[in-house]
Amino acid sequence: MTLIKTSAKAQRRARTLGVVLLVSALAILLLFVPGANAGQTTTFAFNETRSEAFAIPELAFPTRAGLYLMAALTAFAGAYQLARGFTRQGAVLGIVAGLFVLAFLTWAARGQSMNLTGMMKSSLLRAIPIILAALSGVMCERCGIVNIGIEGMMLSGAFLAALIGSVANNVWVGLIGAMLGGALMAALLAVLAIKYRVNQIVAGTAINILATGLTSYFSSRYLQKYEVLNTPPTFLPIPLPGLSRIPIIGPALFNHTVPVYLTLVLVIAIQLMLFYTRWGLRTRAVGEHPRAADTLGVNVFLTRYVNVLLGGCVAGLGGAYLVLSSVARFDELMTAGKGYIGLAAMIFGKWNPVGAFGSSLMFGFADSLQTRLAILAVPIPSQFLLMAPYLLTMVVLAGVVGRSRGPAAGGQPYEKE
Amino acid sequence: MRKHLSIGLAAILLASLVMTACGGGAASGYKVGMVTDMGGIDDKSFNALGWKGIEDGIKELGIEGSYLESQQQTDYATNITQYVNQETDLIVTVGYMLADDTASFAAANPDVNFAIVDFSYAPPIDNVRGLTFATDQASFMAGYIAAAVTKTGKVACFGGINIPSVAIFMVGYEAGVKYYNEKHGTNVEVLGWDTAANNGVFVGNFESTDDGRRTGEEFLAEGADVIMAVAGPVGQGTAEAVQAAGNAWFIGVDADWTVTASKYSDIILTSVLKNIDVAVLDTIKSASASGFAGFGGESYVGTLANNGVGLADVASGAISNDIEDELEDVRQGIIDGTIDSGWETYLSNL
Repeated sequence: MTLIKTSAKAQRRARTLGVVLLVSALAILLLFVPGANAGQTTTFAFNETRSEAFAIPELAFPTRAGLYLMAALTAFAGAYQLARGFTRQGAVLGIVAGLFVLAFLTWAARGQSMNLTGMMKSSLLRAIPIILAALSGVMCERCGIVNIGIEGMMLSGAFLAALIGSVANNVWVGLIGAMLGGALMAALLAVLAIKYRVNQIVAGTAINILATGLTSYFSSRYLQKYEVLNTPPTFLPIPLPGLSRIPIIGPALFNHTVPVYLTLVLVIAIQLMLFYTRWGLRTRAVGEHPRAADTLGVNVFLTRYVNVLLGGCVAGLGGAYLVLSSVARFDELMTAGKGYIGLAAMIFGKWNPVGAFGSSLMFGFADSLQTRLAILAVPIPSQFLLMAPYLLTMVVLAGVVGRSRGPAAGGQPYEKE
Repeated sequence: MRKHLSIGLAAILLASLVMTACGGGAASGYKVGMVTDMGGIDDKSFNALGWKGIEDGIKELGIEGSYLESQQQTDYATNITQYVNQETDLIVTVGYMLADDTASFAAANPDVNFAIVDFSYAPPIDNVRGLTFATDQASFMAGYIAAAVTKTGKVACFGGINIPSVAIFMVGYEAGVKYYNEKHGTNVEVLGWDTAANNGVFVGNFESTDDGRRTGEEFLAEGADVIMAVAGPVGQGTAEAVQAAGNAWFIGVDADWTVTASKYSDIILTSVLKNIDVAVLDTIKSASASGFAGFGGESYVGTLANNGVGLADVASGAISNDIEDELEDVRQGIIDGTIDSGWETYLSNL
């Protein structure tokens, strides 16, 4: 009986997917094709900058023909799905979503050119601070400490990265300084939340206010007055041998600075550690049911202290990326809310490092996309374009991700009996 | 123990709030207070320039001056209230974003004088002096220069948020490029702003230098080789991107960037100067003079003619002598009114 039920459900889902694909094809035809004039061409450029050593020729094609092709491919996928059914439906959905975005870009760049490689690179780079913030959130929340203070930790990290990096005139020392800055704020959160059982939201907010105040004060008193304290050296991009030569994606993905590579390594490392090591199991146990973990001999307090401190280091790295890899100086409030967006990315990613990585990338992509669209002078007011990252996230959250549930003991102080 | 802790925590928080808001000045007499916009006192831009005007006043006129920083929009009213309570004679509010709060406090406190940077009220408010700047005039010249130096035929600009005091730079810039095209029969494109559509590229804040860098890279990737950033400190990130690329120019706004961001001097083409310090000092002078009978709703407009706006030195060797001569004609034309920067048309189309 249950078997028949599930297969009926699966059939219904398969049919829905087919219909969705057909509707997307129709949407391409109805939304994008009428906007393009018969003679217009769309040009996609693939060189990261104008001075590329191995220049790749631009791809120019008639806008309408391109759109018809994409609509046809989408429609074919839909028809095949309805008639026979794909075995890997998730992959098909992904590919068609990509096609739809490509169709949108083709339409937006009609009569103009758009640099796809630059857009890929920018999406990744815009996502890096958000990824690090989200990872910091995962580290803390998985063990049951809600961390609203990521923004403050990033800001302190950025401040110390600039200050210590400048004084030592060494990027690595600056990087360590940034982690220290994040860890200091995290230590404050840990003591308040674990030892004194202060409400964690309040403690996190206090950290944000404290970090804003301290860094702004010392920045205006010293960093902005004495330029030597605010000119840290920066990491230079290191092209990965071989990989960076791959056309189109090579320069976008494999020619980055150490903090960028480090971020990508951290995503995988934290994912593995959380789900395949003893430390990860204990962390998750403490986040779900600290009493049970305690009964089994796990040191709840120690686990929480360690995790929060490590989370602070990761948030500090986010600040280090901004200073040592992006803009080479500290300015007041320079994190501009990226810590909070990271928190959102963590929730959309279901408290899972790889998930958080994916949703951060989506934020980065949407951010880059809105800038490109504004450059192409798409007739959408800038205020609405700036909403795009958040709108997209909401749609994806509601449509694809589904219910997101945090660790059960999140936000609750633990008291030993 | 917990009680001590909460007292300690409260003290730390209080201290950090106080730390974000402090200033100098000790002499007695006429009291001037400045409320900054977000972006900090050291934004190397309008907050810093406003404060410089007050510092000049402290030096030249012996007045008493201080500032309060706003970290978020809700701080505006709090900070103005503080100054009103301290019986400050003149409160300078820096920026368009403070317009609503300034107006309501001015109405509630008719005996306190206010000056607001980047805004003028219609109808005027008796005790508020609006300090506005015809930056379109100076950025028109910057656009003209940008069009003259570009090799790719694409020049770019972007802003923080689409508000009139930002858009005015971009309107003038685009008009300057178009004027150059007209004169020279070229076809230089402006990326990031379209006056007719009142739309362009905006990063949505005035703080994130990282956004500035990324946006700069997007423009470079799309082929622009001159970028003007109208977003306060955000532009420093853009300058970093331009310097890393090495084959493009950057145009600063508000202050002379070869001074305020000297490490980018080699890629700074010029800066569109908005001499807020001149306007603030002018206001302090007239308001602190004996026999001052109130602003009477008058406003100050900085122009090329009265040195309220201007253009910093152009990078040496960037433009030919011919272009320099043409630029002088352009300046004269704008002052005479024979050249239209497009700002009035833009305003009437809003």
